Amino acid sequence: MTMTSPTPTAPVKLAPASKSSAPQRPSRFRIGAGQQMKGGPFAYVALAVVGFGSLLPLYWTLVAASRTQDEVLASTPPFLPGGKLIENIQTAWEQANLGKAILNSVIVSSSITLATLFFCTLAGYAFAKMRFRGRGWLMTAVIATLTIPPQLSVVPLFMMMSGLGWGGQLESVIFPTLVSAFGVFFMRQYLIEALPYELIEAAKIDGANNLRIVVSVVLPVARPAMMVLGMLTFVQAWNDFFWPYLALNQQNPTLQVALGQLSASYTPDQSIVMAGALISTLPLLVVFVVFGKKIVGGIMSGAVKG
Amino acid sequence: MRITRSVAGRRLRAPLVATTGLTVTALLLTGCGGSSDSGKGADADGNITLTVADFGQFGYKEAGLFEKYHELNPKITVKEDTTAEEKNYYPKLLQQLNSGSGLADVQGIEVGRIKEIVDTKADSFADLSKSIGVDEWVSWKAKQATAPSGAVIGAGTDIGPMSLCYNRELFEKAGLPTDRTEVAKLTEGGWEDFLALGEQYKKKAPAGTYFMDSASAMFNAVVSSSPEQYYDASGKPIHEKSASVEKGWKLAAEAASKKLTQGLAQFEDQWQAALRKSTVATVVCPAWMAGQISTYAGDANKGKWDITSAPGNTSANWGGSFLAVPKSGKNVAEATKLVKWLTAPEQQAAVFKAIGVFPSNQGAYELPDVKNATLPYFNNAPIGQIYADGAKSIPEAVLGPKDGVIKDSISTQINNMEQRGTSPDKAWDAALRTIEKAIG
Amino acid sequence: MATSTPTRDAYATPPREPQKQPPSERRQLWRSRLWRFDDKASPYAYIAPFFLVFGAFGLYPLLYTGWIALHRVEMTGLDSMEWVGWENFDKILHDPEFWTSVSNTFLIGVISTVPQLLVALGLAHLLNYRLRASTFWRTVILTPYATSVASAALVFALVFRADGGLLNWALGLVGFDDTNWANGHWTSKIAISVIVIWRWTGYNALIYLAAMQAVPNDLYEAASLDGASRWQQFRKVTIPSLRPTILFTIVISTIGSMQLFGEPLLLEGGALGATGGNENQYETLSIYLYNYGWNLGHLGPAAAVAWAMLALLLIIAAANWFIGRFVRKSAV
Repeated sequence: MTMTSPTPTAPVKLAPASKSSAPQRPSRFRIGAGQQMKGGPFAYVALAVVGFGSLLPLYWTLVAASRTQDEVLASTPPFLPGGKLIENIQTAWEQANLGKAILNSVIVSSSITLATLFFCTLAGYAFAKMRFRGRGWLMTAVIATLTIPPQLSVVPLFMMMSGLGWGGQLESVIFPTLVSAFGVFFMRQYLIEALPYELIEAAKIDGANNLRIVVSVVLPVARPAMMVLGMLTFVQAWNDFFWPYLALNQQNPTLQVALGQLSASYTPDQSIVMAGALISTLPLLVVFVVFGKKIVGGIMSGAVKG
Repeated sequence: MRITRSVAGRRLRAPLVATTGLTVTALLLTGCGGSSDSGKGADADGNITLTVADFGQFGYKEAGLFEKYHELNPKITVKEDTTAEEKNYYPKLLQQLNSGSGLADVQGIEVGRIKEIVDTKADSFADLSKSIGVDEWVSWKAKQATAPSGAVIGAGTDIGPMSLCYNRELFEKAGLPTDRTEVAKLTEGGWEDFLALGEQYKKKAPAGTYFMDSASAMFNAVVSSSPEQYYDASGKPIHEKSASVEKGWKLAAEAASKKLTQGLAQFEDQWQAALRKSTVATVVCPAWMAGQISTYAGDANKGKWDITSAPGNTSANWGGSFLAVPKSGKNVAEATKLVKWLTAPEQQAAVFKAIGVFPSNQGAYELPDVKNATLPYFNNAPIGQIYADGAKSIPEAVLGPKDGVIKDSISTQINNMEQRGTSPDKAWDAALRTIEKAIG
Repeated sequence: MATSTPTRDAYATPPREPQKQPPSERRQLWRSRLWRFDDKASPYAYIAPFFLVFGAFGLYPLLYTGWIALHRVEMTGLDSMEWVGWENFDKILHDPEFWTSVSNTFLIGVISTVPQLLVALGLAHLLNYRLRASTFWRTVILTPYATSVASAALVFALVFRADGGLLNWALGLVGFDDTNWANGHWTSKIAISVIVIWRWTGYNALIYLAAMQAVPNDLYEAASLDGASRWQQFRKVTIPSLRPTILFTIVISTIGSMQLFGEPLLLEGGALGATGGNENQYETLSIYLYNYGWNLGHLGPAAAVAWAMLALLLIIAAANWFIGRFVRKSAV
C-alpha cells in the first residue's frame, strides 16, 4: 500500500469481527491459526532475513550520512558509520533550512494530530452511540471519502490557498487535513465496544448534558484509542509529501519538503542528502522504539474491528 | 432556570468554542512559524537578513561577495538559497509569485524565462530602471528585462559567450594536441570540424571515456549563435522551421549516431559524476559552464582542464541571468541596493575572476580583472581574452516566453538519441509533442 | 400532563422513568425542550466538523477540479480562467505520455502489490506462531512504515544508483555488470516497486496477522479432525477467512499506486524525476499531473488528469465490486 494521502487510511473491513470486548492489542491467548504452534528455527531465520531487509536501508542511511560522498560511492562501499555525521548534518542544516523545517513539521503535525483527535473522537462517538437521522448513510459517506486520493483536488486547492493568502503558508497544509475519515471510523469502532450504554445512562441520571457526557464519560474511555490514533496521525502528518511539496517552498518548508528540495539543491553530495534524511527519520524511529508495542497493537486493532 | 440556561448555553457554545479554540491554536502556531519567514524586516538593532534565491552557480559565494557586503554594511547579512537545476527552480518561482509568499528578497531569473516573467509577472517585481544604470549593460541584455511599460525588472548578472572546455589529460592520452591554439585551429572550420576531431579522439580514446558529455550542449551552442532561435519577432514559436534549430539537431543526431558522446543529461547527478571521474574529454562551454566544471570535477582534477575558443569561433550567448527584486519583500530598498552592488562592474569582475562567469555589465570589460583574467583551475586559461572578443559580436536574439522549456525538451530527446539510440525522427516527434504541450 | 418528562431519545436505549419530581410544570416543559434540542442537535454538532472540513477542502475542490478542467488556467496568472470546453481532455487523451503514465501506474501497481501482499501473507503466518520476542519482530518489520516517502526514496536512489550504488556493487560480487536502474523501462519500475514494497509489507503483514488471529479456532479443530495437514489448513481455512481482508488490501494498494509520487520524483531527482525519466519510463499519473500543472504551468490539463484519475478509480471500484461478487458466489 502506498498511501501518500494526508489522511491516515487503513483497512476498514474486515475479517469477521472478533468477539473480545476491548479492541486493544490482540490477546496473546486468543487462539487462532497456529497460535498454539511454536515457531521453529525456520520461522526465526525467515523473520531475521525480512528484519534485516527492513533495517538495512535505514542503516545505510546512517552509514552514508556519516561519511563523505566519495567513500559512499567508492567501488567497495563502507559498512560501518564514519566520523562525518555532525559535519554533514551541519551542512544539510544550513543548506536546507532544516531548523525551520523541523519547527514547521512539529507545528503542522501537532496541529493536525490535536484537531484530528478532537474532531474524530466527537464524530466517532456520535456515530457509535447516538441515534440520529441519516446516521447510516453519513457513516457510509465518511468511509467513501477514504478512497478519494488527494491528487484529485490539488489543483483547485492550490488556487484556493493562493486566493486565501495561504499560499506557501503552513495553513495551506494544516487545514485540509484537520480531520480524517479513518480517524472517525477508528474511534467509532473502538467506542462501539469500549463504551457501555450503562455509563452514558448513569451520567444522564446525574443530569449531565451531552457535552458533559463527552467530557467526563467518553473522553476517559476513549483515551487508549486516542493515543493510538494520535500516533498514527502524527506519523502520517510528519511523513506527508505530495500536497506539502506542491503547496510549500524552500523558504518555509516542512521536513519532507526540505528533504525533497535538498536533493535538488546545489550539492554534489549524497552524504549531505542522507544526513537530511536521517534527521527527518530519526524522531519517528525514536517514537517507534518507545511506543512500538502500542503502534503495532493500534494498527492491528484498526484492521480487525469492523 | 439557572441550570437550564447554563446547560443550553454551554451546549451550544461548547463545540463552537472548542472548534474556534483549535483553529486559533493552529493559527497561532502557524503564525509563529510563518512570522519568522515573512517578517524578515529589521530586528531591534536594525539588522537585516537578505535572502538571494538562485540556481546553478552565480559565483557570489565563490567570490566571497556576500561576506564582503556584510563587511561594508555590518547590519546586513546575505543568505543564498541555491537550486542546482534551473528547471527545478523556475516552477517554484512561479508558484511563489502566485501566492506572493516564500519569495526571497532577491530572485535570480534565467534568460530562457525572462520573457515569460516580463510578459506575465512584471508587476510583481520592483522597477530597477531608476536604481541601476541600465545603460551600463550590453544593450540586448537590458532590453530583455524591460517590460512594455518601460520598467526594468532585472539587473543582468552575466552573459554566456561561448568557448570550448577540454580535458588535456584525456586529449593527450588520445594522441590529440593539448595546446589551446592548436585545439582551436583543429576546430576552426566550425562544428563539423569539431565532430571530426571527436572521431579522431574516439579512435584512441582511453577506455570508458567519451569525446563529449552530451550533444545537447553543442545543439544549444549552435542555436544560441543565431539571432533566430525558437520564436520569431512577432512572438510566434518557430522551433519547427528555425534554421538554427535544424542545424543544431542535425549535428546532434550525427554526434549521437557516431557515438561520440556519453549522452548525459547536463547538470544531473550522472553528469556531475562523469566530471568527477573525468570520463568526458570536452564540454561545450558558455562562460558560466567553467564554474560548474571546476565545482563538480573537484580539486582532484585541477589543472587537467583547459579552455579554448569555440569551434568556428562561434560567437553566441547561451544562458546568463538576471537578478530581480520582488515587490512583496520586506526590504525592497535594501535588496535593490544589494542587486545594484552585485551587478556593478567591480563585483562582476570579481565573480569572473573567481569562476569565469562573464560580466554583462560593459563597465567591467575594461577592468584589468576581466581583461587579464586567467582561471587557475583551467591551466590558467586566459579567459578574459577568450571571451572578450566573442562577447562583443553576440547577435541580439529574439526571445520567447517558453524558450527554456523548448530548449530542455529538445535536450531530453537528444539524450534519448545518444543513450537509447532512438531514431532522430522519432526523437524529433517526441520533442515536438512535449514542446507543444509546454507551449500549451 | 406527565408526558413532559425529559426523554433522551438520542440514545438507543429504552426511555427511563422520571427520577425526580419536576419542581414546576412550566420549568419542566422548558427543560424538556432543551433536552430534546440537545439530543437532536448534538450528534450533528459532533459530526459537523468532519463534514465541514471535508466539504471545504475535499468535496468542493473535487467538483471544482471538473470545472477547472474545462478552462485554461495558467500558473502565470491564476486569476484568469478562460473557457475552453473539452480541449483539455482532448489534449491529455491524445497525449501518448498520458497513456504511458496510465500503463506505468498500472504496471508499477501490479509489480509492487502482488509480491508485497504475498510476502505480507507469509510474514503474517510466521508472526502468528508463538514466538520469542514477538513484539520485537512486529516492530522491526513495521519500521519502514515510520520512514517517510522522501527519506525512503532518497536512500533507495542511493542503493539503485548506476555508479557507486549499493545494489550494483552487490550484483557485481556475483558477476553482473553495472545496471543503470533508473534508465531502463523495467528496471526503473522494479526499483520504484521495491521502495513501495519495502515501506508497506510490514504494515500489511500486521493487518493480515490481525485477521488471522480473528479466525475462530473451531475451524482449525474441525479441519484437523478431518485430517488436514498444516498447509491444507492454511489453504482451506486461513486464506478463505482472510479473503475479505485480502480483497480490501488489494483495493487500497491499487488506490495507493495511483498516488505514487515521491518515489518516482526522487528516484533520479531533478528535472528527470519531474517527467518520470527521460523517456517517461517511470512516470506515474501523479507525476504526469504534477508535471503538467506545476512544471509546465498549465493547470487546466492538470485538472483534467485529476478527473481521468477519478474515472479510473471508479472503473477499479466497479471491477472490485464484480470480483467481490464473483468471489462471494464461488465461495458459497
